[in-house]
Amino acid sequence: MKRAPSFTNAVFRVFDVAVGQLLWSRRTLFMMLAAIAPIVIALIFRLTDAVGVSTLRVNGQQVSGPVMFGGMIWLLYLRFIVPVLGTFYGTALIADEVEDRTITYLFTRPIPRGAIVIGKYLAYLVCTVLVVLPSVMVVYLVMTPVGGGSLGQTFPMLLTDLGILALGSAVYGAVFAFIGARVPRPLVAGLVLVFGWEQVALLVPGYLRRFTVAYYLQSLVPHTMPQDDVMSAIQSLFAEPPPTYSSILWLLAILVVALWLAARTVETREYVLEQ
Amino acid sequence: MTAGERTESDHVPVVATDHLSKWYGQIIGLNDVSLTIGRGVTGLLGPNGAGKSTLLKLITGQLKPSKGSLTVLGQPVWGNPAIYLEMGVCPEQDAFYDRMTGLEWLMALLRLHGYDERAARDTAFQALEEVDLKDAAGKRIGAYSKGMRQRVKLAQAIAHEPEFLVLDEPLSGMDPLARRKTIRLLRNWAANGRNIIVSSHVLHEVEALTSNILLMHNGRVLAEGNVHQIRDLIDEHPHTVCMRAKDPRRLARELVTNADVLSVRFEGDTVFVQTAKPDVFYARLTEMAANGSSGEIFEVTSPDDNLQAVFEYLVQS
Repeated sequence: MKRAPSFTNAVFRVFDVAVGQLLWSRRTLFMMLAAIAPIVIALIFRLTDAVGVSTLRVNGQQVSGPVMFGGMIWLLYLRFIVPVLGTFYGTALIADEVEDRTITYLFTRPIPRGAIVIGKYLAYLVCTVLVVLPSVMVVYLVMTPVGGGSLGQTFPMLLTDLGILALGSAVYGAVFAFIGARVPRPLVAGLVLVFGWEQVALLVPGYLRRFTVAYYLQSLVPHTMPQDDVMSAIQSLFAEPPPTYSSILWLLAILVVALWLAARTVETREYVLEQ
Repeated sequence: MTAGERTESDHVPVVATDHLSKWYGQIIGLNDVSLTIGRGVTGLLGPNGAGKSTLLKLITGQLKPSKGSLTVLGQPVWGNPAIYLEMGVCPEQDAFYDRMTGLEWLMALLRLHGYDERAARDTAFQALEEVDLKDAAGKRIGAYSKGMRQRVKLAQAIAHEPEFLVLDEPLSGMDPLARRKTIRLLRNWAANGRNIIVSSHVLHEVEALTSNILLMHNGRVLAEGNVHQIRDLIDEHPHTVCMRAKDPRRLARELVTNADVLSVRFEGDTVFVQTAKPDVFYARLTEMAANGSSGEIFEVTSPDDNLQAVFEYLVQS
């Protein structure tokens, strides 16, 4: 007698197919570029330091490697690379299949549609983490020794950074998976959310910032920013960050709710393919 | 079980609809259709825009009914993925994961049916062999010809040996030999007690598979019954056939000597022929393709002009 795979089994089988597709998609090139760009910046920073050319200074003091690395984690990885990768991949999980009209082959299998969403989401997460985290480690190794930074002393901080980046990728991916399943032009909506809503809401005093992913991620970042006017201004925006445990709980809640909504949307929505 | 015995499931209609309607916003795709499709092969015939694809998408659970009810093999379809254990779907669209090979694609889909790696490989090979694609199993689908893509699409529909096959324009774009083989495959499939619904806008294609048809027009079922009843009407209208060939002029020279060919014209490497006797024409074309007398023929399609004319006649009368 024929038997359909269980939900968990179906998730892993979809994951299996989706990983291969993601790795060979055109978007992977973009992902690689996003991961290589910080390494190039780090190499330039290290090279200028090695040849004695003046690098970034704050109040006349040279910014050390670990501080620069912390700045890159927050400003480059968490505020740009992770959300942008989340937008590009998360919104494409279902939307690409619909646009390419291949969704029929997945929807006519004896597996719940929710398993398709979660399997593809896990594939996105694994691919993103496998590209972003090694990039962070290379940047860390290149930058930390600048200005006398110690790899041994800052290593626990690196582990925290890697955890935050993985969590950030997971949360942004889930949010954009839902947007991709629900909204007609999900990429545009995703970019508006990242570069519009999240930027504006963080600047507005009050409770609006609590409706952004970046607010909770920021409170987890262990690095101290250097004190000059610009950096202080950025830091002051987050003068009252929520406690770490609260941020982690909120991020996990956003992840679970967004992923559930994405799965529920795909389960109940009909996708009319263009002829 | 002997041929005379019947199981309980034999009495369950393959498809049953009750006042089934589907709207796309203000546009009506299917309008108040109540029908029962029994066992065996059923042809769904109608011009483009008749509602065939909408009905098939409802039957295959890709669309949700706006109104009315629908069951397949006695079960509801929308939100019931278990139905796909017994249903194979060959959609109309020419869409694939082009970077995958035919074998990889079939294996991936079979694994979603619960097959383990080894069983998926063996079953995928078997299905590819059935559609005559075993030699191309390791080739990327993106490099397949139109006819090969149609066949690999059919392979994924039959691979898990469903009880019920839904085929949306399955012969479109195939060369004459592949058409003949595919028709034979589907006949054998049905002969083993399985059920097929096949849509087409070409009477000849449907007729080669079954005499049991549903005629659709403007989102409604116009008639159900035997294909021979509309046969005469169809024959009154010239039938257009388009053929993409390596040497179109040579093909045209071969064809034009026959009395049933009314006219011939060219567009690039495509020959358009109007024939008064499609049966005779298609039979001869298959023979010509088999013996190579007219050079290589890549693709055969048929616009639905003649069928549209018949439907207009039927609607008016």
